[in-house]
Amino acid sequence: MTQNRSYDLNAVTGAARDDGGVPHGRLLLAFAEAVLDQDEEALAAVRAALSEAIGSAGLADAAGVVGLFNAIDRVADATGIPLEAEKAEASADFRAALGVDRFDVGARA
Amino acid sequence: MSELYASAPAEIREDLAAAHARACDRIGRAGTWWDGSQRVAIAAETRHALSCALCRRRKEALSPAAIEGEHDSLGALPETVIEVVHRVRTDPGRLSERWFRGVLAAGLTEEQYVETVSIVAHVVAIDTMGRGLDFDLLPLPPPQPGTPLQYRPPGARPGCGWMPWLEPADLSESENDLYPTGRPAANIMKAMSLVPDEVRSFFDLVSHQYLPPLAMRDFSREYRAISHAQIELLAARVSALNQCLY
Repeated sequence: MTQNRSYDLNAVTGAARDDGGVPHGRLLLAFAEAVLDQDEEALAAVRAALSEAIGSAGLADAAGVVGLFNAIDRVADATGIPLEAEKAEASADFRAALGVDRFDVGARA
Repeated sequence: MSELYASAPAEIREDLAAAHARACDRIGRAGTWWDGSQRVAIAAETRHALSCALCRRRKEALSPAAIEGEHDSLGALPETVIEVVHRVRTDPGRLSERWFRGVLAAGLTEEQYVETVSIVAHVVAIDTMGRGLDFDLLPLPPPQPGTPLQYRPPGARPGCGWMPWLEPADLSESENDLYPTGRPAANIMKAMSLVPDEVRSFFDLVSHQYLPPLAMRDFSREYRAISHAQIELLAARVSALNQCLY
């Protein structure tokens, strides 16, 4: 919970069926997935739907965030950095619940 | 809307367009360990990597190390640099410290590696945003003359990542601007601090394409056309798709 609202963290792994508590969450997730995927038709469709839902400036900012984190992930993976200790402790329960600890760079052979 | 992106199919903020222009300009100039032509070649190779047959076969394999062959490259860079660019671009979720040590053993220095990763990251950030908007963002710049600075920060020492980094306490006077004040320096900021100029450049992009450091947890207002919650949902989903825990 943040900003005094509840969110469904399963949205992060694509397991949520609705907006996950975030306005237009389902569309935003579909947009992120389509940008990183190769299906041009699907991307065009979700891009149009998202622009209709959140406007042109919102679409541009959403595309910027997707692009930026597609890059930040590469910096993190290519430098082998771990989560900060305090973040690791604070997020241990939901990382375990979501099963994302398997992505830990330290565990890679 | 910025003149730079006047024909873009979406409203790109002027500050973001200006950050892209700065990033593009820096790619074309001599860096710390690569000169302008090498930096532009790394950026071009980053774009070219998406059509590499070897990368495609490795991506589909259970282990990328099991697939041997040569990358389809533009031919302007040493093979070791091409390997780094292609792997970081096409299969970052399976990079390992063992692979990194192999790259160093093949002749790349830690500093060259960091600068290479940074250039790839700049291009990925801008190009992925462009894909999202169905719009080709910045063309690569012409290389500018100049000699690499070859500056290794004296305070760099082993940290939590694979290569040495700068802790805030180890910054020299010329590096005092490197980390934000008012909050601890995150590992992602320290990750590339072996080449301080790359931290400055990449986090200039971060501040405009995502959020400035102090805005990330300032929930008292919204800084973008989408909310903090919408931004973090996108960020977390992208990281999960990339299988990146960080």
